[in-house]
Amino acid sequence: MAASFASRCSRAGRSLFGGLSNSSPGLFTTTHEMTCSNYLFQVTQQRNFIQMRTVLKVVDNSGAKKVMCIHALKGKKGARLGDMIKASVKEAHPNGKVKKGSTVFAVVVRAAMPKGRCDGSEVKFDDNAVVLVDKQGQPIGTRVFGPVPHELRQKKHVKILTLAGHIA
Amino acid sequence: MRLEKCWFCSSTVYPGHGIQFVRNDAKIFRFCRSKCHKNFKMKRNPRKVKWTKAYRRVHGKDMTQDSTFEFERKRNRPERYDRNLAVDVLKAIPKIDKIRVSREERHHKNRMKGNKAKVQKEAEKEYEQSIHMVKAPSSLQQEKIKVKVSQQQSEENPLMEE
Repeated sequence: MAASFASRCSRAGRSLFGGLSNSSPGLFTTTHEMTCSNYLFQVTQQRNFIQMRTVLKVVDNSGAKKVMCIHALKGKKGARLGDMIKASVKEAHPNGKVKKGSTVFAVVVRAAMPKGRCDGSEVKFDDNAVVLVDKQGQPIGTRVFGPVPHELRQKKHVKILTLAGHIA
Repeated sequence: MRLEKCWFCSSTVYPGHGIQFVRNDAKIFRFCRSKCHKNFKMKRNPRKVKWTKAYRRVHGKDMTQDSTFEFERKRNRPERYDRNLAVDVLKAIPKIDKIRVSREERHHKNRMKGNKAKVQKEAEKEYEQSIHMVKAPSSLQQEKIKVKVSQQQSEENPLMEE
C-alpha cells in the first residue's frame, strides 16, 4: 500500500516537474518570437521580385487600373525595375482602350524592391507600378503619372521618359 | 557630379554610397548609410535624434550662420569651365577649411564659457551635502567585521525517492 502511494506521488511529482520544464522554455520562445516579428514588421519588410500573381498599379491613361503579372519576360526569379512583364488586366475603366481580362505587355516603372544603380547606390520606390506597352515597347496611353527612374533610357523606353513628369 | 546631403544626418553622400527612396509625390530621400535609412523607416524625426546635424543646429550646438557655408551652397546653374578659376578654387579650399575650423572652435569655446564655473559649483555642493558618507581610513580599521557562519541543513524529500 505504502509502496503504491509512494510511486503515485513520484509520478505526480515527475509530471509536475515535466510540465514546468516544458512550459518555461515554451513561454520564453513565444515571447522571443513575438518581439522578433514585431521588430521585423517595423523595421524591415521583405520586398520581392515582381513575379506571377503580383498585382501592380497602372500609372497611365490606357484605361486599366490594376494588372496582375502572369509572366516576367526576363530574369529567372522575376521582373525588377525597368523590366517588361506580361500581365492580365484585373480592373479597368469602363470606356478605356484596354478591357478587363485582356492580356497586355507592361514595363515596371516603379518597384518597392531596391535596385542597384550604375554607380553602386540603390533606389527604391513607394509601390509597384507599370505602364502598359505594346509588344514593340511603345506605350498604349498618352500620359504617365508619378516619378519614373532614369534607367528606362538604358532599357530603350525613351517614350515613357518623355511622357513622365518627374524623373528620379 | 554632385555630392548630395543625407536626408537624415545631413552628411555628404558620395557617389555609389547609400540608398535613395523616391516617394510617390516624386520627393527624393537620400541616405548616406543603412543607419540613416533604418531611422527613417522607424519614422524618427532627425531634429529629435541627438547625433544628427539637424538636432545640433536646432539646439545651438553648432555654428549655423557663417560666410564659409556660402561656398558649399547648392547651385542649380552649372559653372562654365575655366582653368584659372579651377586652380584658384583648389588653392582656396584648404584656406577656407582652416577658417571654418577656427571659427567653429571659437563657437565651441563661447558655448562652453560658463561651463567650468558651473561644474565647480556643482562639485562644491555635492561635497557639502555628502561629506558624511566618507569616513577616515583609520576609523574603518577599528571596526571589526564579524560574519556569522551558519550550517545549512539539506532538505530531503522522502516522497521523491522511489
